[in-house]
Amino acid sequence: MKNLRILILSLVFAFSAIAVNAQGPIPNIEDYRLDFTVVGMKGDSIKLSSLKGKVFLLDFWASWCAPCRYANKYLVKFYNKYKDKGFEILSVSLDDEKNAWKKAVAKDKITWMQGFDKGGWDSFAAMKWQVDALPSSFLINKNGDVVGINLEKDDLEKKIKELLELK
Amino acid sequence: MKKIIAVVVMAFVTVALQAQFSKATLQASGLTCAMCSKAVKVALENVPFVQEVKVNIKSQEYTIMFKENNNADFDALKKAVEDAGFSVASLKVTGNFSGVNVQKDKHLQLDGKNFHFISSSDKVLNGEQTIRIVDKDFLSAKDYKKYSAATKMECIKTGKAGDCCVKDGMHSEERVYHVII
Repeated sequence: MKNLRILILSLVFAFSAIAVNAQGPIPNIEDYRLDFTVVGMKGDSIKLSSLKGKVFLLDFWASWCAPCRYANKYLVKFYNKYKDKGFEILSVSLDDEKNAWKKAVAKDKITWMQGFDKGGWDSFAAMKWQVDALPSSFLINKNGDVVGINLEKDDLEKKIKELLELK
Repeated sequence: MKKIIAVVVMAFVTVALQAQFSKATLQASGLTCAMCSKAVKVALENVPFVQEVKVNIKSQEYTIMFKENNNADFDALKKAVEDAGFSVASLKVTGNFSGVNVQKDKHLQLDGKNFHFISSSDKVLNGEQTIRIVDKDFLSAKDYKKYSAATKMECIKTGKAGDCCVKDGMHSEERVYHVII
């Protein structure tokens, strides 16, 4: 059973390694290997591929992850600054407890889409996106293509502006 | 026939062991947030005798379940954490004990491993017990200093039997786990 899991994982890894490679096809959120559905704050379901057409950041985090909480500070700024220009964020929490997640969302004043995906590192979304450290983020363009991975503060803002065609 | 032999062998093993270790709880530390990386969990999962690793965020601990009839090698757990780029801040192992006679500063063999109980009063261990390994690099430098001061025996510094423990019938190169209960 464990061997099977390792085999599947290495296959997924091989595929995504090809996908992330600049010379290979660019990963796209409509790819069934990357698409997922998570539970939103109000118990609603959020499907990743339904965000196609928007410039958005797919952000993996958890309430207990200090560097993630730090990143939230500037994400809040960017979101408020660019949401009217078409920028969106989908955060996926790897928290184990819904309450801890909801408390952190309130405390960090997060108003963008928040999804919960139980299972920590082994959660469906985290596995699909090969998340092995938090925070992990993926910047997606209007075509649904992944155009930036783990961009930090200034680099992230620069790229968001570029994708939104702002000066 | 094979079955009978297996049962007989197992009965002997159980008697001889006096203790079978079933799980461990481990804390990792490092320059970056250890819990924010999947590396430690994956490294521990890849240790041969490990069945399952659970992450407990609240206590910042990894619960490591061992395979049945394992020969748990605690040094392998430490190595896995270090290879993942972190260090061990705490390792406690839990086992089922049957009439294990613990004496302060005496060595005893359990589950094929040598143990040295430091700062423990004489007692007999039965049932489920958890012991903490206090060898160097199994805890913070500060804690190590504290526990290593509890015994005058040289083996606490090397984790090997050395000269001090040969009288107990051990080879000087044999691994000795220093533990507290």
